[in-house]
Amino acid sequence: MNTPVKELTPSLRIQAFLTDGALLTGAGLMVQFLVWFLFLDARDGVLESAQDLLGKLSFVPLIIGSAILAALWQGAHGTVGSSPGLAFSGYQVEGEKDRPWSQTTMGWFLLLFVELTFFTGWVVTEVDLYTLLTNFPKAAGVLRGLFHPASSVLFEGLVLLVQTLFLAFMATAFAIPPAFVVSFLAARNLTRKTWLTRLMYTAVRTIMNFTRAVEPLVWALIFISWVGIGPYAGVLALWVHSIAGLVKLYSEQIESIDNGAVEAITATGAGMLQVLRYGVVPQVIPPFLSFTIYRWDINVRMSTIIGFVGGGGIGYILKPRVDLGEWGEVSTLVLLIAVAVWAMDLVSAKIRERIV
Amino acid sequence: MSETCAIRITGLEKVFPNGVRALNGVDLEVKEGEFLAVLGLSGSGKSTLLRCINRLLDPTAGHIEIFGRDITRVEGAELRALRRQIGMIFQQFNLVKRHSVLVNVLSGSLGRAGLFRSLFLSYTAEERERAQTALSRVGLGERGASRADALSGGQQQRVAIARALMQEPKLILADEPVASLDPALRHSVMRHIEALNKESGMTVVCSLHDIDLVTRYATRCVALRDGRLVHEGDPADFTIETLRHIYGAEAEFGFHG
Repeated sequence: MNTPVKELTPSLRIQAFLTDGALLTGAGLMVQFLVWFLFLDARDGVLESAQDLLGKLSFVPLIIGSAILAALWQGAHGTVGSSPGLAFSGYQVEGEKDRPWSQTTMGWFLLLFVELTFFTGWVVTEVDLYTLLTNFPKAAGVLRGLFHPASSVLFEGLVLLVQTLFLAFMATAFAIPPAFVVSFLAARNLTRKTWLTRLMYTAVRTIMNFTRAVEPLVWALIFISWVGIGPYAGVLALWVHSIAGLVKLYSEQIESIDNGAVEAITATGAGMLQVLRYGVVPQVIPPFLSFTIYRWDINVRMSTIIGFVGGGGIGYILKPRVDLGEWGEVSTLVLLIAVAVWAMDLVSAKIRERIV
Repeated sequence: MSETCAIRITGLEKVFPNGVRALNGVDLEVKEGEFLAVLGLSGSGKSTLLRCINRLLDPTAGHIEIFGRDITRVEGAELRALRRQIGMIFQQFNLVKRHSVLVNVLSGSLGRAGLFRSLFLSYTAEERERAQTALSRVGLGERGASRADALSGGQQQRVAIARALMQEPKLILADEPVASLDPALRHSVMRHIEALNKESGMTVVCSLHDIDLVTRYATRCVALRDGRLVHEGDPADFTIETLRHIYGAEAEFGFHG
């Protein structure tokens, strides 16, 4: 992880306190939830009413208790051993790193935490092995359909598959120019010099992270109401998401370039644009190409889901057949997609291998 | 006096953001036409000193005059004009690997070239001819079309020298130019740097590790240790005592072995 910190600064203490407090509160809530579930006869419809559940858990005493515990642990870390929060901030008690986890308090605490998470998750997601093992016949019909692809949609499916490939290609192609320009502003090594460039770096990074965090499905819904149902909306949705994705890949590549050529070109008295053109661009073009092909590959996969909500491509005809239970036709379409994705994967891997 | 002084450095200090004090009060004058060798262990401040002279690094304190002009704080167009006069040769050659040898040489003229044309790698016939002449001078006249990374290390360093020639500087900074080359190839590169000095009349400041090379090529020699100048003299007067003074007790091993 990060280099070990020797000194406990106030900001480090606060950071560690908040992390530990959150962990302890989380553990406390899960214990409370499990106790309520196991002993207070709440087995039917655990999460039917969130309101009900919230009423059953007592937050305030838990948070206060966790805060006290976190503070105590931090105060006594010399004898008890460092807390997860301290370790996470890079501070550990002398020699603790060399001991196996089973000889540290933190190791046992984290083990307990993971186990709590597992059992709580079991309850929350309503895991039920009995139904899985006894209810198979209900799925037999679906499986039979899936193993008997129907030729009725083969032609239509093929046509829309080609549309899907073009859709993904156009989204990628449109994303290249903006991503190329923006990626230079999102590369830390090029934006360190003045406060203005640093500000731009932060702004660009924030906007791009946000854009990437929004699912392409959501972008599709936005663009469907903007330009109407069809492949164009799908292109636009994947375009926005691709810009953000490519900026991340591109800028990381720019950050890892060899600084030597940049230094040499700067030393000739070249201006900033010339330094970028001669010192940076030649180094990043091959990896950029490789990432772009990879992005096309991703877009083919994503466009299926985009099609589900009306973004064109093969997903558009898949959705109604799933809804109607036409499993034979679903099977044909799914197989077409699988073959296309597999082929794209193979080709893009081969091309990328050649480029770099 | 100032007309014959290519570089005049007074009280130069450089402290890096991580607190490392690389230069600690260096005073140095370099006369026009000199071939000055800079000696010192790795980490003694040689590279930092060279990079302060063409302002790839900004000094923390002190002053640097180049041909009588104080350049310690120049920025923008003035800084680029300063760098145009100073060619630099690097230990790792620092060519643009994916460009052709000829374009690498041409990039030496970027400080003068028109911005728009240079961004499209478009150069005039006159510039191409000058680049070709520079390449021929370092014995690589036939290799202009090759990709830079197709050449051997020694050849790449000669391309870097041609790039410096193309720049037509008055001063050359060479940062351990032969340290990553096969010993057998060192003289072929050093002779070209010597030619920049003797035939083209450029002042050369060159950091070196190898005492043999210093005595053979340099007209004067200074040594750095922990960011301070600890020796200055004629390379011909080298003794074991001088070396021990520069490198510390371990120098004995290197010299006898």
